[in-house]
Amino acid sequence: MSKGERMKTTAREKIKQQQAAQRQREKRRRVVTYAAVGVVALAAIGGGWLYAASRSQSEEAAGGDQAPVTVQSDGSVVMARSGVEKPVLDVYEDFQCPACKQLETVSGQTFKNLAAEGKAKVVYHPISIFQREPTRGNSLRAGAAARCVADGRQWLAFHDILYKNQPSETVEGFKTNDLVTWGKEAGVTSPDFEQCVTSQKHAQAQLSYADKVIKEQKIEGTPTVKLNGVALEGNVAFTPQQLRDQVTKAAK
Amino acid sequence: MIASSASLPARSAIPLVTTVARLVLGGVLIAAGWLKIGNPSDSVVAVKAYQLLPDSVATTVGYGLPIIEIVVGVLLVVGLMTKVAGVIAALLMLAFVFGIGWAWAHGLRIDCGCFGGGGELGVGQEPSYLLDILRDFGLVLLGVWTVRFAPGAFALDSTLGLAGDTGGDGPADDDDHGEDDQDKGTRA
Repeated sequence: MSKGERMKTTAREKIKQQQAAQRQREKRRRVVTYAAVGVVALAAIGGGWLYAASRSQSEEAAGGDQAPVTVQSDGSVVMARSGVEKPVLDVYEDFQCPACKQLETVSGQTFKNLAAEGKAKVVYHPISIFQREPTRGNSLRAGAAARCVADGRQWLAFHDILYKNQPSETVEGFKTNDLVTWGKEAGVTSPDFEQCVTSQKHAQAQLSYADKVIKEQKIEGTPTVKLNGVALEGNVAFTPQQLRDQVTKAAK
Repeated sequence: MIASSASLPARSAIPLVTTVARLVLGGVLIAAGWLKIGNPSDSVVAVKAYQLLPDSVATTVGYGLPIIEIVVGVLLVVGLMTKVAGVIAALLMLAFVFGIGWAWAHGLRIDCGCFGGGGELGVGQEPSYLLDILRDFGLVLLGVWTVRFAPGAFALDSTLGLAGDTGGDGPADDDDHGEDDQDKGTRA
């Protein structure tokens, strides 16, 4: 290699090095910016997740005793301290409906607490809203079985167990022998309970009650929660804190 | 590669097409997330309805999904971290396509809340599955396009110099460096 050629090479290398250093700086700046944006995005996602989770945070069971529960003759169930007549919180639900199960999971304890604190009269209306099998049959069997429970406390326990064991919307579930077992688990001791469930004694009553309620209350879907007769928005019913606030406000 | 072999007018249209793809995909994501974010329970029920995930996982996903959709949607609209956002958006849409296909194959009815009413669900349901799948698959393609031809025109990535040199403002011989940096970006 001649001297001239070598000088040319070094000059070229120098330029190359400078370019490389420049590129290196660029790259570092790019990485920093990228990381910053990424961190902000992740923080937003984390914050949003926490917000969602906190909105859906269920209440703890209150330490004191529960409000008395009374099964009405039409199959609706009242949970309230004696003398508490308002505000009225009507819960229209279907044991087979997944969204009702979610409502129960998220806000079920709030209903119980509000009743226990004497802040509301909670009325459960188990209706059957499905038109197609297998959900129609599942809902009907469960609803009819609940009508076999006369004791309020046992009814509420049965209600909770039904949601815990809610079948998928695609399979036949809530079979009568299961319903009998769950009834006993809920503390039902009445001797004719088993017969009442297996014969589906109250299936017709459940159907006509559901029809009547859906028409009269203009129920478009379950769950529907009404506060003093006015349907609550889904994001209120499913947000325990907001639910409590609305009910407390209505009490004033 | 494809870009450099294409004719000049086609090449200059590509950034604009990317921008449109970003806006459509991002807009859909923001809208979808926004509708759900006020009521996380709704999206939990929706995720559970697919019966693909165990309940606890479905709950976590249900809480996170709306905000992820919104954040990714915003990133796409402003053209920030376009490649990463595009990859996530495409994967999300792909997951939806899979989920809807799964629901369809298993005869699940995906609707939040339980609506009674008439039996019109029976007849009306199947075509809407197909429509949903086609729509979401179209969005997957938009995502793929966005990733391939990122970041497009009017992107913050270009403003901040995050886009490499494919924006066309650099000299032609810089192209290979640009590709290089882009690949890094995807991995970041």
